Amino acid sequence: MGDYALLYILFAPFFGALALIFVSNRQTLLVRGIAAGSAFISLIASLYLFYTYDPVLGGYQFVQRFEWSRQLGIALYLGVDGIGTPLVLASSILLFAGIFVSWHIKDRAKEFYIWILILAAATIGVFMSLDLFFLYFFYEMSVIPMYLLLGMWGSHTKKYLEMTDPEGMKQRDSVGFIFNFGSNSKEYAAMKLVLFLSAFAVAAFMGILLIYKYSGLNTFDILVLREHASTLMHIPVLGTTLDKIIWVLIFFGFASIAPLWPLHSWSPVGHAAAPAATSMLHAGVLMKLGHFSIIRVAFEILPETTRELMPMAAVLCMFSIVYGGFVAYYAKDTKYVIGYSSSSHMGYVFLGMAALDYISLSGAVIYMFAHAMATGMLFSMAGWVYDQTHTRDIPSLGGLSNKMPFISACFVVGCMASIGMPGTINFIAEVMIIVGSWNKYPLQVVVAVLGIVLTMAYLFKMMRSLFYGPMDQKYSHAYDAVAFVDRLPLLIMISVSIGFGLFPMHLYNVVRSGVDPLIAKITHVVPVAAAPALDAPAPALHEQLAARGVQLPDSRAAQ
Amino acid sequence: MNFELNMTIGDLLLLLPEIFLTLWLCLVLIVDFAFPRLAKEQLAYLSVVGLVVTLGCLAWFDMAQISGALFKNMFVLDRMAIFFKMFIVGASILVILASIEYVNRFAFFRGEYYFLIVMSALGMMFMASANDLLSLFVTLEFSTFGFYVLVAYLREDLASNEAGLKFFILGVFAAGLLAYGISLVYGETGQLVFSDMASAPATPGLIIGFLLIFAALGFKIGAVPFHTWIPDTYHGAPTPVTAFLSIAPKGAAIALLLRLFFVALFTFKPMWVLLLAAVSVLSMTYANIVAIAQTNIKRLLAYSGIAQIGNVLIGLAAGTKMGNDAILFYLLTYLFANIGAFAVVIAMSQAIGSEEINDYSGLNRRSPFLAFSMLLFLLSLAGVPPLAGFIGKIYIFVAAIKEGLYTLITVGLINIVISMYYYLIVVKKMYIAEPIDPSPIRVSGPMKAVVYVGLAGTLLIGIYPQPFIDWVVSATMMFSHLPAPAATALPPIPPLGG
Repeated sequence: MGDYALLYILFAPFFGALALIFVSNRQTLLVRGIAAGSAFISLIASLYLFYTYDPVLGGYQFVQRFEWSRQLGIALYLGVDGIGTPLVLASSILLFAGIFVSWHIKDRAKEFYIWILILAAATIGVFMSLDLFFLYFFYEMSVIPMYLLLGMWGSHTKKYLEMTDPEGMKQRDSVGFIFNFGSNSKEYAAMKLVLFLSAFAVAAFMGILLIYKYSGLNTFDILVLREHASTLMHIPVLGTTLDKIIWVLIFFGFASIAPLWPLHSWSPVGHAAAPAATSMLHAGVLMKLGHFSIIRVAFEILPETTRELMPMAAVLCMFSIVYGGFVAYYAKDTKYVIGYSSSSHMGYVFLGMAALDYISLSGAVIYMFAHAMATGMLFSMAGWVYDQTHTRDIPSLGGLSNKMPFISACFVVGCMASIGMPGTINFIAEVMIIVGSWNKYPLQVVVAVLGIVLTMAYLFKMMRSLFYGPMDQKYSHAYDAVAFVDRLPLLIMISVSIGFGLFPMHLYNVVRSGVDPLIAKITHVVPVAAAPALDAPAPALHEQLAARGVQLPDSRAAQ
Repeated sequence: MNFELNMTIGDLLLLLPEIFLTLWLCLVLIVDFAFPRLAKEQLAYLSVVGLVVTLGCLAWFDMAQISGALFKNMFVLDRMAIFFKMFIVGASILVILASIEYVNRFAFFRGEYYFLIVMSALGMMFMASANDLLSLFVTLEFSTFGFYVLVAYLREDLASNEAGLKFFILGVFAAGLLAYGISLVYGETGQLVFSDMASAPATPGLIIGFLLIFAALGFKIGAVPFHTWIPDTYHGAPTPVTAFLSIAPKGAAIALLLRLFFVALFTFKPMWVLLLAAVSVLSMTYANIVAIAQTNIKRLLAYSGIAQIGNVLIGLAAGTKMGNDAILFYLLTYLFANIGAFAVVIAMSQAIGSEEINDYSGLNRRSPFLAFSMLLFLLSLAGVPPLAGFIGKIYIFVAAIKEGLYTLITVGLINIVISMYYYLIVVKKMYIAEPIDPSPIRVSGPMKAVVYVGLAGTLLIGIYPQPFIDWVVSATMMFSHLPAPAATALPPIPPLGG
């Protein structure tokens, strides 16, 4: 495969979905086979990608470039750096695991696999796009499958608004209320997710269009833009500078999917309504699209602005961590707990990014990979418990470890990984984030450490009430995962989590090779001296660019 | 104004598609009357054959780059006219194929139905070539004439009669405005051909005249505030006629708007940019918000069509060649998605006899093919990748951002989100709701063909748009003199790494 690895990873799920259209829904085995087969091709190719990516060389490797539209300046430009590589790997691992987690789906199985393959492929597409247009293209493409997956195979979120604290007092997700219209149906969850993400995606797209216009380069190519664009955009406008407006549009546009507090309210509802495999992909990789796109667009193209404005994220991430943690503690729905724990944990990634430090940003990237595995495990097991007991209400469950010892053992591992137990990759990531951001943000680090304690509290609480204590007799028909296909996804995710926890060096090197040039660029950039007037790049810049061989089009004043 | 006609047979070549279609039209009518026992579907196929030959002829013109003007510049055949003629003929073919089953509902005059469709198409083909105010008026009325009859074709149906009457009264009113506007413009400038009035000074009479002409064309494309006839007419008209009405006249009227604004009125650009921006914002916002409340799929598509025209006007307001390219491209994506969506509506209407959105419940279980097609068409209209509508919207936004139309783009982007809501409501019914009557739905052969063409267009343009972009760029060659952001050579790709 060699150079074409990215094409295999990206297009295997797409062609799998295409092939599934022509298969009858009755041929269950063929349907599953095609889905698993295309996910397997993707997985093998991304393992190859991960282990042959050369961290010494660094930069973008396995690059593929196809001219797509000359007039618009768009090319299908694919390539991965040290940041994209582990995320591509995480996506394909979760896709492969997700196919097996949803092995027993009866209702319209073919359509389910089609949409989940498209969802995963679109996500992978974002991680390897080197063209702003295609980044947005794949990003938008990943949203619609979520609507159908939630709506068609999801479940209503019964206990969504009811939460009680240990004293029996009613609690409410009181910040999520901003966009909360309080319905418990899966249709509501799905619609909210799509509209929320689309609304913020178009904000990000406005930022992309502004970059396109003011760079004056007539291209969406990230590699060209990062060389030339940032110097052109220090234009005073509306009492601030244009680059700040663009940065804010892009940051909040993409942070909504991450999800950064207070833009998180779509996410736990979506998790709770989604079927297990979708929750896995949603929490495992879809949420990372936000961080990744911020790194790829805002960090790469606007490094100076990033340095100025990123402290904002450091403030918001504290709320993410604490708020998510507390809601998770009080929630009574298993998936709601895991969903809020994910949104809390994404705060750590923002902390790692905000510190703009070699160690902390590497930690953030590794954390994304680690969290994908941990949360994937937890969601797949919550799905299993739900399938067996038909409830996600934590207080009414209990003592399931007698009935499902394997699941219960894996759940312990999943919780440990989620907490960041030494031996799992999460531990390494958390330590790197904490160590890396200590110098700059000691307060946030303290909050983050408290957040870990909080994570222990709610995960142990959930584990205890699900698997230990007395069992209600109505759950006596519950079964353990015995079949190979049921155990396989958990075994894969556990072994990846522990494997990288014990041997993290290659992952670390790969990530560092992507993070180092980025941080070097952000922290040691030369400030721009003169700010040219609105819409008219100063002649000096024109000449400067002309000397570099870049031709600018006429940039005429906006009417 | 002396009027002599000196032309050669070679000049008549430019009129070949129209002449051929006129003759073929007579043939259709003769066959209908001469063989009353003939199954009326045969007439449909006969009309399609004529249209396909016309399409082939136009494609040959396009490839051979044949162009020219006739009758003292009243009739021009340039590449843009050819593009719009192909657009109209293509839409007509698909509409006729989608009508075959539906026509059985008509109690009388089944044969004349096809005649009227092709006649309207012929009128619109002339419209795409109209280059002066007289031919503008004549061709516009010629094409609308057939529609007046077609809209009221369901004689027993009150809604159809109401639709016909409403369309007729408002249409005639618009024609009155148009005639008045033309007389004002002629009185002020003494010119009829667009290019001759390019340097006229902006007198109040001229401005009012052009505003009246714009109102008449705005009526045709259904932009707010000239849209009031659209929902009721679309709702009451026979569904294939609605499909035709929602696509072809819009294309033809956009062709006229392009000629009017970029040839006759280019000196007034700062003024009409504001006018178009206002109409665009109103169309998008009003239509998208009202569409949310619709319970009938035809009304929903009617409002969605108004909103789409709002998007097209963003491209027109950009006032550059790239903006015009984007408009042509957008219309192409709109053609496939809209005709496909209407084909599904027709198929459903045949199968379940209803056009209410509620009756689409559980369509995915009843006919996965129809549900999946409708899903893709609606998502394309909403602008979701990798479908054609997404590229169309992006093209328009890119053209507009180069001109710095930030407000318009912001409104357009917000409207994408609003529109997604009502398209997804239909998707919710089709995919998530359970069917009331789970019996499977049968789709006839010609209808399937139309849906497949729609799907192919929607997916192909979305995934590989470059050939289509090249086509529209060459089709708007007549605007290449416009001051436009020069297409820069891409900067060299920097070395990878670091």
